[in-house]
Amino acid sequence: MGRRLDRVLVAAVVISLAAGPVSGQRRAANPPAYEPPRTADGKPDLQGIWQVLNAAAWDIQDHPARPGVPAGQAVVEGNDVPYQEWAAAKKKENFEKRLTADPITKCYLPGVPRITYIPYPFQIFQTGDVALFIYEYDHAVRTIYMNRPHLAGPIDFWMGVSRGHWDGDTLVVDSIDFNDQTWFDAAGNFHSDALHVVERYTRTGADHIAYDVTIEDPKVFTRPWKMSMTLYRRQDKNAQILDYECNALEEEAAGRLK
Amino acid sequence: MSGRSFTLATAAAAVAAVAWCTPVLSAGQARVDGPPDIQGFWASQGRRLATYNIEEAADATHVLLSGVQTDAASLVVDPSDGKIPYQPWARAKRTEVFEHHTNLTKWEYVDPHMRCFLSGVPRVFYQGGFQILQPPGYVVILQEFNHGSRIIPLDGRPHVGENVKLWMGDSRGHWEGNTLVVDVTNNNDKTWFDLVGDFHSDALHIRERYTVVDADRINYEATFEDPKVYTRPFTIALTFGRTVRGEQARSYELLEEACHEGEHDTSEVLRQLTDAPK
Repeated sequence: MGRRLDRVLVAAVVISLAAGPVSGQRRAANPPAYEPPRTADGKPDLQGIWQVLNAAAWDIQDHPARPGVPAGQAVVEGNDVPYQEWAAAKKKENFEKRLTADPITKCYLPGVPRITYIPYPFQIFQTGDVALFIYEYDHAVRTIYMNRPHLAGPIDFWMGVSRGHWDGDTLVVDSIDFNDQTWFDAAGNFHSDALHVVERYTRTGADHIAYDVTIEDPKVFTRPWKMSMTLYRRQDKNAQILDYECNALEEEAAGRLK
Repeated sequence: MSGRSFTLATAAAAVAAVAWCTPVLSAGQARVDGPPDIQGFWASQGRRLATYNIEEAADATHVLLSGVQTDAASLVVDPSDGKIPYQPWARAKRTEVFEHHTNLTKWEYVDPHMRCFLSGVPRVFYQGGFQILQPPGYVVILQEFNHGSRIIPLDGRPHVGENVKLWMGDSRGHWEGNTLVVDVTNNNDKTWFDLVGDFHSDALHIRERYTVVDADRINYEATFEDPKVYTRPFTIALTFGRTVRGEQARSYELLEEACHEGEHDTSEVLRQLTDAPK
């Protein structure tokens, strides 16, 4: 009698341990995806102040340290930016002249996606049909209208025009209408005005967003290519977007602003 | 026994799951009996030349240059003479800039807007149109000119430290019924109120009141205090009107105005000015 009870108890323990969490009929091969907090309309809440922690702003590919430049591992998938032959030569030329040829040295807007990984914070807001990104660097702004068609282009904007939609719990941002004036980094990686950028923002935890970007530009590259990195939440209790007014700082340094 | 611990474990997991999934609620988010919805596209009404000269919306020179007639009334409602109450040294400086604004001989006479510097407050409201958004816990203002922006938290957090100077100031807001009350500190001393040189120091402290009159109108009043430059505080008044409504508002958007990137004349002007360092 005692031994049969023991066997029943053991069986019960084994069964309950095997049952899994909650109404777990499903036994996932991978751990379940992170369930993010949601905004009032049920979408993942991406709001807050975010910043990257990598050396992509200097060079999106594998690179050693250079004066003033930290070493970095590629954010480019496969470390390969697939230039057409003429463009590979242009990239090399850009790199050699980068200290003066980089448009950021004139305090021009960094374009997309460089604005994401330039090492300054940015804030994401969500309201109604808008995902709003305000960047500390040069007070850049991207107002991403959700579920709207693109404008009748082409238009030559520095930051392009962005349209968003949700793919499950991933914010997908589709951007076109770029000029050809921006670089992807300080190492001379560049594009034409045919640039098409698709970004994917997915919360992976309380303080992290997985950020994936696909770059397409048939005038410059032989195929689309990708970059991936993590966005980190700025956790300081008093975190706030401040100023970095590049052109004003230059004028001040030149003695033309008090 | 094992059945009960399974239930407890499940209950604990469920509670934890709910805590993770709780939506983030913030002050000002509820719309049912909360603050008015002022999201959308706005512009100052009837003050087309305020960005030229806030004391008088037009003078003979500007009317000659642009052919635009205005109501020629000051934005300043207190003091009642419509003049900014400058200390004597400051009035002299302002007069000097005014007298040179069509004959720039020094960089000190050049309007910060011409150099594609940010507008500051209140010029953000009369240099073209702007957009108001109300994400949870904030009011955000986007300016089309020079893609300016103001982020106004509503949660009562303290201002940043006084040595952090900001082009658009540091704003903290809260709603009092239908009025948004905003306190603006930490201004730098580099913005002007207009093209003819109305200025302030980095001691400027602004108190704003945005009173929502109806769905399409906001009465804006702001008091400016700056003991380094003015003899007493002064107050300006503007009316904001909604510029895009209904169906049109659902397809409207501000477009990029990349001021610095497109401005090629100013650097040449600055280079030619007699006292610009080479």
